[in-house]
Amino acid sequence: MQKHSIIGVFDDEDQLVQALHSLKEHKVRVEEVYTPYPVHPVFGILDRKTSFTWWAFLYGLMAVIGVLSFLYYTAVIDWPLNFGGKPTNAFPSFIVITIILTILSITILSLFTFSVIAGVYPGKPARMPDIRATDDKFIVMIDPENAGKPIQEVNQVLTSNGASEVYEKESELSN
Amino acid sequence: MYKTEIRGPLVLGDKKFSNVSVDITAPIDRSAPLWWKMAFFIGLLAAAWGAIAMYVTVRYGIGEWNVNTSVGWGWEIINFVWWIGIGHAGTAFSIFLLILRQRWRTSINRAAEAMTVLAVGCAAIYPAIHMGRVWLAFFIFPYPNTRGPLWVNYNSPLFWDFIAISAYLLISASFWYFGMVPDFATIRDKTKSKIKKTIYGFFAFGWTGSSREWLKYEALSFILGGIAAVLVVSVHSIVSTDFAASVIPGWHTTLFPPYFVVGAIFSGFAMVMTLMIIIRKLYKFQDYVTDSHLNAIAKILVFISLIMGTAYATEVFMAWYSGNPYEMFTFFHNRITGQYTYYFWAMVICNAIIPQLFWFKKLRKNLTVAFIISLVINLGMWYERFNIIVTSLTKDYLPSAWTDYHPTWVEVGIYVGTLGMFTMGVLLFFKYIPMIAISEVKGVLKLGNHSPVQKTVY
Repeated sequence: MQKHSIIGVFDDEDQLVQALHSLKEHKVRVEEVYTPYPVHPVFGILDRKTSFTWWAFLYGLMAVIGVLSFLYYTAVIDWPLNFGGKPTNAFPSFIVITIILTILSITILSLFTFSVIAGVYPGKPARMPDIRATDDKFIVMIDPENAGKPIQEVNQVLTSNGASEVYEKESELSN
Repeated sequence: MYKTEIRGPLVLGDKKFSNVSVDITAPIDRSAPLWWKMAFFIGLLAAAWGAIAMYVTVRYGIGEWNVNTSVGWGWEIINFVWWIGIGHAGTAFSIFLLILRQRWRTSINRAAEAMTVLAVGCAAIYPAIHMGRVWLAFFIFPYPNTRGPLWVNYNSPLFWDFIAISAYLLISASFWYFGMVPDFATIRDKTKSKIKKTIYGFFAFGWTGSSREWLKYEALSFILGGIAAVLVVSVHSIVSTDFAASVIPGWHTTLFPPYFVVGAIFSGFAMVMTLMIIIRKLYKFQDYVTDSHLNAIAKILVFISLIMGTAYATEVFMAWYSGNPYEMFTFFHNRITGQYTYYFWAMVICNAIIPQLFWFKKLRKNLTVAFIISLVINLGMWYERFNIIVTSLTKDYLPSAWTDYHPTWVEVGIYVGTLGMFTMGVLLFFKYIPMIAISEVKGVLKLGNHSPVQKTVY
């Protein structure tokens, strides 16, 4: 999909955060921000939230129940065996395997979840407005149609907050 | 924002963001230097010996080793525990410091995690070949089978060990890999070579650095970090139960799990120090791996060394205090004195005494001394495992079953082989992967530079 966007380029984290605050005050809707490393204030300003950690907790809960049920089924119901006179439901010695397999399940499921919710997978072509975002620039992308303000005003806010470049671009974007 | 006023700047030399990308990816773009090629060749020779030794083991069976009915575990289990120990600190280092918000980890975590993955990979070879018939290794999987007991024995520490090590390898590798995704994207976007762009682009997973990606990426690191911290402690505790759950004198003690975990972290931190000094010297990364970083590791090593000394003393004390004649014999007649006394005292000197030199600021700051001590610690940790395993097994309850143990060339060969594989792995890591986490270092670039304490405090 071809998309027309306004791109603001910043050299510094502080300027970026200041510009985002300013854009918010001017009620300009920011499409996305690209940074070389995670800039935490950006998540707050753009109101980005994730329930990922809760998902991980849920996976853990399911795994604990699943593993214990599996051990109970195999060792007690399906084929009970006498190992040195120990009870077949040797719960304390099941704990170790339960912990490890729970951790393993959380890891595998979290990696898949990350791949899905962040939309990254092996070999995916990178679609970004400005490739300098992985090097040393902080990129703000604004969609002029959804910005809520005229292009000139958006440009002015970006420039007055220290953007080193502001330009418009037609690009193919996935998100 | 976490300020680091005690440590001062984490990165020296007034770097800009683009300098960081260029500096750290430089070795990938350069052709490999001569020392690299020579070291790789030596690693290859060692690995070749290992391959021959492993072939002999698999072809003719473990009768090619000097293990016998008394000493059923020899060099293989020593080296297994040694490698697993080294493999521990990488993840321990990276994850505990991540959870504790210690931002100085950023320059070191990548290499530490690489070391973990390689060391655990080397360790995993030993249990497999120790089974004798390696092609039947799948017997350990818990699946319904027709070999008698339908399922495996969940009460066995050896089974826990298998589960724990497989999980640890997978989790360390994924933690390491996902840490590299943004850096692969940096290489993809900076390189001029089309081949590199394609290859690193494939592994970069289409990373763009958008706020959506970063948010989920950080959540993933904390999820993996949080659960892997539990794993680090539990994996080596499980390795220790392989010993502690038995009834052999010298092994049957509740001290073993913490003693093994601490010992593992000790050897791993020493190996991290060895690697960081090599990276710093040979790739001239002194602005990233600063004196302050190495100083912090040295201080941790002193602390752990004291714990190790305490653990050794506790073991000896408990052998005497228990009044158990077999424990007394093992410790006083077969470790402190006796045939293998050299290994006991070498262990004490290398692990508990020599690292105390790090109390002196001058020695901490002297990289040559630090490098030698880090190697001495890993040697000492090898002696520790030899001491635990061989002294307890050669002379246990029944004097008629007493024996000696010396490795054959096959056993030595497998060990040298894993050292060679590790060396080759580390060298490939130096050459093809950013040795320092680029995006994480950029995140701490400004830290400490504005702090009132400009001087690095030791």
